Amino acid sequence: MSLINYSSREINCKIVYYGPGLCGKTTNLQHIYSRVPQETRGKMISLATEMDRTLFFDFLPLELGQIRGFRTRFHLYTVPGQVYYNASRKLILKGVDGIVFVADSLIDRFDANVESLMNMHDNLAEHGVSVDKVPIVMQYNKRDLPRVVAVPDLERELNQRQAPYFEAVALRGTGVFDTLKLACKLVLKTLG
Amino acid sequence: MVKGNWALFEEDFWSINQILQTLSRSASARSVMLIDKTGQLINSIGEPPGFDVTSFSSLAAADFAANAQLAEMVGEKDFATLVHQGTTESLYLTMIANRVILVVLFDRKTSLGLVRLKARRAGDELSVVLNRLFNKLQYKNEELTTTSLGADFHAEAESEIDSLFKD
Repeated sequence: MSLINYSSREINCKIVYYGPGLCGKTTNLQHIYSRVPQETRGKMISLATEMDRTLFFDFLPLELGQIRGFRTRFHLYTVPGQVYYNASRKLILKGVDGIVFVADSLIDRFDANVESLMNMHDNLAEHGVSVDKVPIVMQYNKRDLPRVVAVPDLERELNQRQAPYFEAVALRGTGVFDTLKLACKLVLKTLG
Repeated sequence: MVKGNWALFEEDFWSINQILQTLSRSASARSVMLIDKTGQLINSIGEPPGFDVTSFSSLAAADFAANAQLAEMVGEKDFATLVHQGTTESLYLTMIANRVILVVLFDRKTSLGLVRLKARRAGDELSVVLNRLFNKLQYKNEELTTTSLGADFHAEAESEIDSLFKD
């Protein structure tokens, strides 16, 4: 949930990267971390297993600086994608202002995307949040790989609410900032 | 006009600030922080911590959230208080008004007992201030959120987003 502090003149917003295991959520944050100016980003925290799989979350704070006298920050989180970490996913969604759903374009991962999306709806519902009320940006990742699902098919199955989407190759950074920028703008729109 | 999920106004901020300062002094704490339960720092009092407080806040909130789930599993409503005791530095965390986390960072100059006692008192006072704030927000939302960010806020924010977030 966005927190506006009129005394210290700060606005903080939370954006969560959601999606199935190995879809590229952490890769998105790593790319953002590597490319934004140093003064814009805080420390990136990754609570990961020894095998570099997200255990609890990744966290990356970004600061826009002073906008009309308000220090404006976005806190980016990823959830652990693996199915059995649902308790952690649910916790990370608490207070979310905007969501980036990273879908894995590989044909073999199609069902995992659907399952993750349904899981996201369930978890939001448990927080009393309707999925229609939260700004969402879809990202169809790994578009450079062979054997991927066509975008119209992904759209039909995963994006019935017709949220904006971007095709991406997060490992190379393609589509990463387009996704982030739109998510941030949509979140700011909900503030006023 | 801005309508965040919740907002903190000048008057409440200074009331909170005063309570945190009293706690910091009376418990001989190194620093005292108030963190929204979604992981956003609200205020920090005392020695400037030698660590990244933004990251600290997100981890403290996650710590609390994870422990609340553990509590539920063992049949407790929640674990209202957490203590992490180190060799020299320790942390005392407690949930206030079901919305914010009070964190006291302390060392061997004081004791857990004193921190607990003073934090409990501060928690009661903070609850009054926060509940008053949440009631105001709930019942008089329109009236209280008339503070404008300025008509150009969105345009300027979008322009910053475009200039900072790029390859």
